[in-house]
This record gives sequence, C-alpha cells and structure tokens, in this order.
Amino acid sequence: MDLTVTVRIDGAVVPAIRGLSFELPPGKILGLVGESGAGKSMVGRAIAQLLPVGFSITAGSLLFEGEDLVQMPLPRRRALLGRAIGFIPQQPMTALNPVMTVGAQFDEHLARLGEGGYVERRKRAIAALAAAHLQDAGSLLGRYPHQLSGGMLQRVLIALAFSSNPRLVIADEPTTALDVTIHPQILRLIAEMQREHTTAVIFITHDLRLAAQLCDQVVVMYAGRAIESGPARSILSRPAHPYTRCLQLANPTMQDERRALYVIPDQMPSLRQLQKMPGCHFAPRCPLVVENCRRADPPDIWIGADHRVACLRAADMAAIATIDEAAASPEISARIVLQVEKLQKRYRIGDALFGGARLVEAVKGASFNIAENEFVALVGESGSGKSTIAKLLVGLEQPSGGRILLNGDDLTDPSLRGRVRRAASLQMVFQDPQSALNPRRRIGRIITQAMEAGNRHATWQERLTRTKELLAEVGLSADFATRLPGQLSGGQRQRINIARALCNIPKVLVADEIVSGLDVSIQAQLLNLLARLRSELGFGMLFISHDLSVVRHLCSRVLVMYRGEIVEQGPIQAVFSDPQHPHTRALVSSVPPDDPQAAWPALKAALAEY
Amino acid sequence: MSALARSLRSPRVLIALVMILCILGCAIFAGQISPNDPGDQNLLSILIPPAWAKSGDPAFRLGTDSLGRDVLSRLIYGARTAMLVAFFASLGAMIIGTVLAHISGYFGGTVDWIIGRLVDVWMSFPPVILSLILMVGLGVGLDRVILAIILVDWTRFCRVLRSEVLIVTRHDYVAAARLLGFTHWQAIIREVLPATLPLLITLMSLEMAIAVIVEAILSFVGLGVGADQPAWGQMIADARQYVYQSPWNLLLPALAIFFTVTAFNLLGDGLRRTLDVRLSESGR
Repeated sequence: MDLTVTVRIDGAVVPAIRGLSFELPPGKILGLVGESGAGKSMVGRAIAQLLPVGFSITAGSLLFEGEDLVQMPLPRRRALLGRAIGFIPQQPMTALNPVMTVGAQFDEHLARLGEGGYVERRKRAIAALAAAHLQDAGSLLGRYPHQLSGGMLQRVLIALAFSSNPRLVIADEPTTALDVTIHPQILRLIAEMQREHTTAVIFITHDLRLAAQLCDQVVVMYAGRAIESGPARSILSRPAHPYTRCLQLANPTMQDERRALYVIPDQMPSLRQLQKMPGCHFAPRCPLVVENCRRADPPDIWIGADHRVACLRAADMAAIATIDEAAASPEISARIVLQVEKLQKRYRIGDALFGGARLVEAVKGASFNIAENEFVALVGESGSGKSTIAKLLVGLEQPSGGRILLNGDDLTDPSLRGRVRRAASLQMVFQDPQSALNPRRRIGRIITQAMEAGNRHATWQERLTRTKELLAEVGLSADFATRLPGQLSGGQRQRINIARALCNIPKVLVADEIVSGLDVSIQAQLLNLLARLRSELGFGMLFISHDLSVVRHLCSRVLVMYRGEIVEQGPIQAVFSDPQHPHTRALVSSVPPDDPQAAWPALKAALAEY
Repeated sequence: MSALARSLRSPRVLIALVMILCILGCAIFAGQISPNDPGDQNLLSILIPPAWAKSGDPAFRLGTDSLGRDVLSRLIYGARTAMLVAFFASLGAMIIGTVLAHISGYFGGTVDWIIGRLVDVWMSFPPVILSLILMVGLGVGLDRVILAIILVDWTRFCRVLRSEVLIVTRHDYVAAARLLGFTHWQAIIREVLPATLPLLITLMSLEMAIAVIVEAILSFVGLGVGADQPAWGQMIADARQYVYQSPWNLLLPALAIFFTVTAFNLLGDGLRRTLDVRLSESGR
C-alpha cells in the first residue's frame, strides 16, 4: 500500500497532513505515533472517508491492494469499508447502538457481508466472540451494550472488525478509554487476531513504548508530517529525529533512576500557526535547531535500509543528552500533616421511597498519612474509590465514618469555622481543566477567587499583586490575567487550576488525575512544575493517577486501591519492584517496558502461544 | 457582556426591540399622545368607523366604540395596562421561579424533591382556569391581575431553569469555589447565576408575551383590570356584540395584542439564538 494524503481546511487552505507516505505489507502492524493534533487520527478518517467538515483530500492517493480509494466510485469503496477494511474505535462505550442487543448488531453486520441464514450467522457470531476470549458468547448476544464493561465491549468490537476477515484494520487508540489493567489484554487480542487472519493493522497511539512492543513499523508524526519512519524497535532504541528523542525523554520511566523530565518548550503549533511557518515545523521547539532549519522544510533522509527521517541534524542526535540532574527528592520531614483514619463512605443507591435501595461501600476503612513535603500517590482502576477519597478529603462529600485529622484537628466537623480552616489548608486540583474554570471569569479573577470567599474582601490592588505572583509561580506571563479560560490550551488551563489551589498556600493538595488528559510534552512540563513548587512551598500532596510511570516519577509513597480498600501501601520503589497484592501486580505488569528491545511479559505471554 | 453586545447585532433582536420601544413609548406617553380621554363617552357619536372610511370623523381617527369612546386613545392607554402587566408579572414570576429553581437544582436531594413535586402539582391545573379562579378570589384590579399571573406562571421558570442549574452545578468550578471557602449563597450568586442568566433573560421575554395574552383573556371575561381602566381584552369583549356593524373595533385591539406578542416572541427567539451557549457554539 502506498499512500500520499494531503488534507486541507477550507477558507484559508492549510494542510493538515502534508505528503504522508507509507507502505504497509499484509500481516504487519504499523504504528502511527504522535501527540494530539499531529494528524494521526486524520489518516484513519481519510481512509474511512469520515473527514470532518471542511477537510478534504486534495492530493495524493490511498492505494489499497493497487486500487486508489480516493478515486474509487462510492459504491465500490463502500463495499470495501467494513469488509476488507475494518475499524476498532477509541470509545467502545459509544460505538455500539445502545437500544439494540449485541447479537442484533452482530447479525446486521454479518448479513451485510452476505452471510447465509440467521442460524448460520448466529453460529458465526458466537464463534467470533469466543475467538475474542469472551466467555458465554451465546448469552452475550442477547445483552445490550450498557450491560457490558468497556473491556468487554472493546472485545466485541474487535471481534466485529475481524469477523469479515479483513485485509486491513485501523485501530484508533483502542485502549485509551479503558482501565490500564485491561490494556495488555486488549492489545494481546488485537495482535492475536491480526496473526490469525494475517491482517495488516494501522495502530494509532500516543504511547511510544506501546508502539515499540506491538508494532513492526512506526511512523512518528508531528504537525501533519511524518518526521520519522522505520522499523519500530530501531526507531525507538535509536531515534534519529530530535522530536522522537525529546518525546522519549519527556516520558517518565519505570526502571531508570528518577531524573528531572526533559521539557520540550511550548506546544505543537496549531493549524492556523502552521500557515505562517516556513521550514521545519519542529524548529521553534527543537534543541538542535540551526538557521537552515527555519528556511525550508527538511527533505527525507534515509539513514538505514528502511529508516527515514526528516531532519537536517539527524547525525547530531547524541547532543540531546539525558538530563543527569536527579529529580529533586527533597527531605521529607517526619511531621505528619494529614492523618486519615478508617475513612468510610457508603452510598445509598436506588429508590429510597419504594424500597429496593441498597448500600454501596465506596470506601471501606481507608487509613493513611501524608507528611509535610511528601507526595503520596493513590492508584487503582476506575471505580475503586480513588475520587471518592479525594472528595471526602476536601469536604465535597461527608464521610460515613472515620476521621480526617489535619495537624491533629478533626476536619469532619461541619461547622463554618471548620470549613474556613479546611479551605485555607486543603485544596484540590481537578481532573478536567475545562470544567474546573468558570468560562465567564477572567484568569486573574479565577486564581484569586479565594480572596473573595466568605467574609474576605480583598481590594483590587491586593488581588492584582497576588495574581502576578501566582502566574509567575506556575510559569505564565502576567498578561494572562485578563484572558478568558476559553483562550487557553489544556496545559495552560491546568496551570491556572494549580495556581488557584495555591492561592491560600495550602498544606495539602489533592490532585485528581491532573495530567491524564494531556500530551506527554505538556505532562512533563506540569510534573516538573509540581516538583519545583513543592521545593518552594513545601506542601504535601495526594496524587491520584492511573499512570504508574508518572506516579513513580513524582511521588515517594504509593497507596494501591482496589474495590474501596487500600490493599497495599509503601515506598514506591519497594511496591513496584516487589508487588504483593494481585491487583498491584496486574497494575505493574500493564505498563510497557521502557527499553524497546525488552520483552513485555504481559503481551508476550499470549503471543508465545502462537 | 460580549454575548449581549452580540445579540444586539442580530436582526431579530433589533426588529423586536424597535417594536417594543414603540409600544413602550405609547404606554409611557399615553397622556401626551392620545387625542382624547379614553374614558370620555360621547353617546351621540357611537360606532363611528375610522377616519379614512366613508362616514368617518377626523376627530376620532380610529373611530369610536359602542359608548362613543375614542378607540385610538383606548388602544394607547391599553398599551399602558399591557406593558405594566407584562413587565411586573414576568418580573415577579421570574424572581419566584429563579430563586426556587436555583435552590432546587443546586442543593438537590430532598429540597429538590419537594420543590419538584410542588411544581408538578401546580402545573397540573390548567393555567387559564387557575388564573380565573384566582381572579374570582382576589377580585378585579391591575395589581390582582399581576399577582394572578405571577402565581400561575412561576412554575414555567422554575422547571426550565432547574435543569440548567443542574448542568452548571455539576461543573467542577462550582465545587472549586466551595473549596476556596465560598458559602453556598456566594457560589450560587457568583458562579451559577451568571451561567443561567442568558436563559433567564430569554425566558423572561417569552413570559412577557404570555402575560400580555393572559391579561387580555382575563379582561375579556371581565375578570381583569377594573372597568374604568382601558385594556385590549376588554375592548374586544365590548366590540364582540357589534362585530357586524363595526368590525374595526374588534380587529384593532386584536392587532395590538398580536403586534405585542410577536415583538416579545421575536425578542425571546433572537436572544435564545445569540445567548444560548450550546446553540451559538454549534452554529459557529
């Protein structure tokens, strides 16, 4: 398959994908890697002919088995899509029709493939689901999508995609919406199905380590251009483009010594900015940039048999050294700030009036401490009660039992004085920076919001001074004060979020998945920011996350939560290198290894069977 | 505020505002611009057609009614009644409905349940019948009409706003404000209310149209403002008996009502299109 696609936006014509070419032989997995906005999903959409309004293919071809999908008449192309070309979506929860049973949707798909009678199709469907390692496939067909978990739905969709025996399957971030512990299983299933059917797979992901494990070929994309492509393992062990290298260094690792993360400054240029940017698009952020880079787009250079890179300075890659500066791990004082004892939370769900109500224990007797200056991680799968603990701590929910002691004072006391004290010493940074900032307030008013709370009436001058201080703390210039949240990028919004929580200089910060929606380079900026703020302000933090490598980088102690209970806790290194509880083991094994040459036991275990 | 400025550029809103300003002008300067006293009876010249008709009288530009009162003057004074009712009734209904909606949507739980059921019970009475019953109990008069409309129509605000408050309250920034030490009251006023304000303004302009109609209905059945005060509904009721001799007397107040209601609906629709975040974002 040889493919060159250019996509343009109407109005001002801007290329969203510029002259992308790659070949994918049958039975191989190609990884499209890049941060959001790199144009990687656009490739899948171009093949499916599902481009957003305003985008169109203006040049190039999409050759599928020698036929051009772009020039092909519509009925012919439609016949290929869903049969010879299958899709695995990003959000399995919304990919199936909620009012039809799984069986009905499977049947519809098989009928469209021209499969015989109903009985025949049902047999095929059951066989396909069984091949996807779904137990009790027969009864599964009678169920509705909302009755299945995300992981099961993704298995159903994988079975559906492979049921037509396709020659090509496009998987667009198939694991991002699922729990980390399920990732290896889903990836394993895709790899297994791919081998069984000798299907070619385009695997779109933002995770370099994952691509190294799963893919044969990798194309790294940046701002709509393939900047590096070649065999997966050689690219990722010897990256030839500064962006690939920086991305690797920006990602916290699971094995190496902890070090400060490499920070790629700024962020990926938007499509509008790209218009006015001659030369290499990575030049403004590149550590190796020279004058020539800014003049013209660098040509592709072949540095190996099939390793191609679009960079003038590929030979000087060694210049980007790891930052040796060890991550500041400050003295953790023995003084305990926050003490949580046997914290419980029960929810009553169901109809309270007409019976049928039952109690659900979201948190069952959690006890832990946070010392001054200490970052404690809370990990666990979704629904394990992590966010409930966060809400209980900051007082958005009242505990059903147990105590929360801050410097020895009980915070669960609901009086007004208790609330004021809590507001001054315990703050929360929210997961979704978009929802956490009032779109009608200017940034300056948002971050000093604490100064208009209760009976405090700070003068405008005081607030302005504090705004400037706080913006400087989180590394933003003072002119942000007059902007609205809508004008900020995701990373900047999260900085504002942190600044607001810091306004009263809290003792303990609760951070709920604050980097999960962000790109690796932005995530590195924020993690370094948090580490710096800790050494300056000396607050403790409860850092809730599902990403173990981030947790390992930032925190010194970890609490593992499973079904409302803290099943394991201890120093990070000890817990991760020698996990005791089965759930901790599952979590640790779900992280792909840093070294692209190393084997990933969770994935390989299954592949070895073939 | 930029949203309000943007809405002023919408042709819908501009046309509606011009229409409303005309009516408002009539209402405020009724004493100055009406050619005759609206209550002056002239039993010698009853049911005169408008001035441009064959037997018209230039002294009564739109003719006279069955008691010889000047129709034009009565229409102008009727605008005063209609505007007073529209403004105060919708303001009152807005205040009651908004306060209850914010309490209900913000706190949720039992409070929400109680207010929700109250609205359910209230809305199960047909609105016109309910206002008629209220008028029978309260007696006639401008203030009673306003009170009756408020008591009937607050539910409209409460129901629609409550769902909006629910959505806004679920945003993390409201929780963040609480964590920073805002009291519930501060959180509602400074964080939730600004977000529901566009919907509130829209609803209020639609409510004004409804208030004009309800006032006309009440006046029509004689349970509206007192007989000494001119109102469009009353004029229609009076003209009903002589509709064959003098159709103008019936048509003109009906047209006035139509014009006013159209203006308010147009304003409400235009505001909704420009102020509603969901609509304006998807349309962009």
